[in-house]
Amino acid sequence: MTYEEKSQAFKARIDAGERIEAGEWMPDEYRQAALKFIEMHANSEVMGALPEREWIPRAPTLKRKLSLTAKVQDEVGHGQILYRVAEDLGKTREQMFDDLVNGRTKFHNVFHYPTYTWGDVAVIGWLIDGAALVNQKALLDSSYMPYVRAMRRICPEESLHLRHGEELVLELVSGTPVQRQMFQDAVDRWWQPIMHFFGPPSKKKDMLLYWGIKTRTNESLRQEFFSTYVPKLWDVGISVPDPILAWNDDKGEWDWSEPDWDEFWQVVRGNGPMTGVRLAYRKAMWDTHAWVREIFAGIPEAA
Amino acid sequence: MPIWDVYGKRKPDDAFEWAGSIKASDLEMALVLARETHFRHKEGVAYAVRRHGESGDGELHVAPYPADVLGGVTDHSYRRQEAYAGVGGKHRRVSAMLAERGLVIDRPRPPLGRGTESARSG
Repeated sequence: MTYEEKSQAFKARIDAGERIEAGEWMPDEYRQAALKFIEMHANSEVMGALPEREWIPRAPTLKRKLSLTAKVQDEVGHGQILYRVAEDLGKTREQMFDDLVNGRTKFHNVFHYPTYTWGDVAVIGWLIDGAALVNQKALLDSSYMPYVRAMRRICPEESLHLRHGEELVLELVSGTPVQRQMFQDAVDRWWQPIMHFFGPPSKKKDMLLYWGIKTRTNESLRQEFFSTYVPKLWDVGISVPDPILAWNDDKGEWDWSEPDWDEFWQVVRGNGPMTGVRLAYRKAMWDTHAWVREIFAGIPEAA
Repeated sequence: MPIWDVYGKRKPDDAFEWAGSIKASDLEMALVLARETHFRHKEGVAYAVRRHGESGDGELHVAPYPADVLGGVTDHSYRRQEAYAGVGGKHRRVSAMLAERGLVIDRPRPPLGRGTESARSG
């Protein structure tokens, strides 16, 4: 069989709903698309731990401090699981980390922003984790089976984070006017980055959709996020900074305002407000911990 | 660096089931990393590792931890769902309280259960 014929047969398998395993033959296009996507996901878990990590010393109670610490550990653990999946697609973990800390690869836009108040921690814990969970649950249908298994492991932990985040939000919104305002301000700050998080409307030929690595469009995931979270926000008297956001019963979907996509592209290309600070932190850790990795790798036997 | 498959069992009389894989230089490190990556939240009562592929001896190495030690000896319930049970009910109570204060925002929203993919396909 020629490469093209093998490629077509592979595509036919995916269209028939078959799943691909790690050691199998796959077209270069598939391998590259899956690797890039999963590597970016892993990067985002590792970088996503940082905005919350900044709040561990400032958490208001011991209970919150423990929960936040455990959550940060979980996110880094998800990074480890996902790098393991990505490694089998042909790039070493060392290379992936080196590319990340030197700004050669991407991570999710939302982790390029600062966290000013405890309200930001509440938004991350509930709405950003909620947005991530909408995405990750959709990945349970991915065509790449090792990735699906990683998601089966990660999704239950994310839903635990989500409950913690929601509980935190309920505490703020049922509190004093100052606490309510703190959360409202954070929602106002984060709304556009959350809209960006789902990405621009998917293109007609999106390689990830074509190969079944993703199975749902950015738009359908964003709509699901609205249906799941916006009514809950309104129920607790928190508004969303989009004047036209409302369910349109005729269309059977939400009307919403397209955000400024220029800012999105600026941010994901590494020009976000906190990109430099967070990458510098990761790079410093990567460099100063080189000796730990050497020990983990085992001391070579004497010649 | 060698790859190790990680196995776990939920109950003492279960068989070991594949839980994931890790990379580690030797057995000792493999047992540490397997525990930290896959068994932090009381996922089971025992776990084991085995060298992946043909390079290994095929032997299953069971970790030397009693069931009650795996996942921590102090109260780590904050790492698990059970610590946050009842959040849905709490949301309804808070909403009802805020409705009395006239704070609920009334804008068009989908009928209950509509507007999500699971609802659409159902």
